[in-house]
Amino acid sequence: MIRRPWYRSKTSPASCREVGRVLQHYLDSEMDPEWAARVTEHLEACKDCGLEEETYREIKSSLARRQPSATDDAVARLREFGRSLTDD
Amino acid sequence: MGDPLTDERELKEAFDRYVVPEIEVLYRVARSITRNATDAEDLVQDTMLRAFRAIGRFDGRHPRAWLLTIMRNAQINRVRRKRPELMRDPDATMDRVASEDKDDASPEAQVLDRGYEAAIESALDALPAKFRTVVELVDVQALSYQEAADILGVPTGTIMSRLHRARTRIRKHLEQHGGYVNGRPA
Ligand SMILES: [Zn+2]
Repeated sequence: MIRRPWYRSKTSPASCREVGRVLQHYLDSEMDPEWAARVTEHLEACKDCGLEEETYREIKSSLARRQPSATDDAVARLREFGRSLTDD
Repeated sequence: MGDPLTDERELKEAFDRYVVPEIEVLYRVARSITRNATDAEDLVQDTMLRAFRAIGRFDGRHPRAWLLTIMRNAQINRVRRKRPELMRDPDATMDRVASEDKDDASPEAQVLDRGYEAAIESALDALPAKFRTVVELVDVQALSYQEAADILGVPTGTIMSRLHRARTRIRKHLEQHGGYVNGRPA
């Protein structure tokens, strides 16, 4: 979780430079919410930064869809293993 | 200290409260760091066993962080047993082992991997193991920076810089090999 530098007021608009520096934190929701709101405002108004954000968001959501197969069976077996640990 | 029977019930309750809800996350993280379904399951079993033995001393705060640290130690132990010569840098060792023990893509994954998804896949494969693991933990398994830092035993700053470099590389890869303009479908 990162905060906006003390010398920048929380309500002033974010600059392109600032947005570039914190974009990854923004995408990962690892940001002070007030500051994130300023970044959102900037992304909506600035075409270049908006495109940059979209590019990385696309990559991130595509990665998020990659889940290993057969997870359910393994998790069920592990839960069973957990029960065997505590049931005697 | 209560009588043994009460203790046993308390231990079981603590295990059910703190460990059982995290099993799925633990398994996913284990998949990311072992790259192998069988090893991942063994690693989680090992972690659960260690957690069960230690649960009496656990204070109940941040169970996931506690479990990830246990898993990290369990993994280091497994690697040490398997390849004692690689133990100088545990972090590098985990990465190296992760990149060696790779699952073959399932037939179903091969069918689904088309276009953009396939390009992402090959970009991910082209990453050095160190970067790839961080991307798997944060983007695929949705761990926080802190949780990823706990399992890899590095500062969160390292997680952030690896992530940033990994994503820049993925984007470049998409542009150079996938024919994607600005990292996105043209
Ligand atoms: Zn801008």
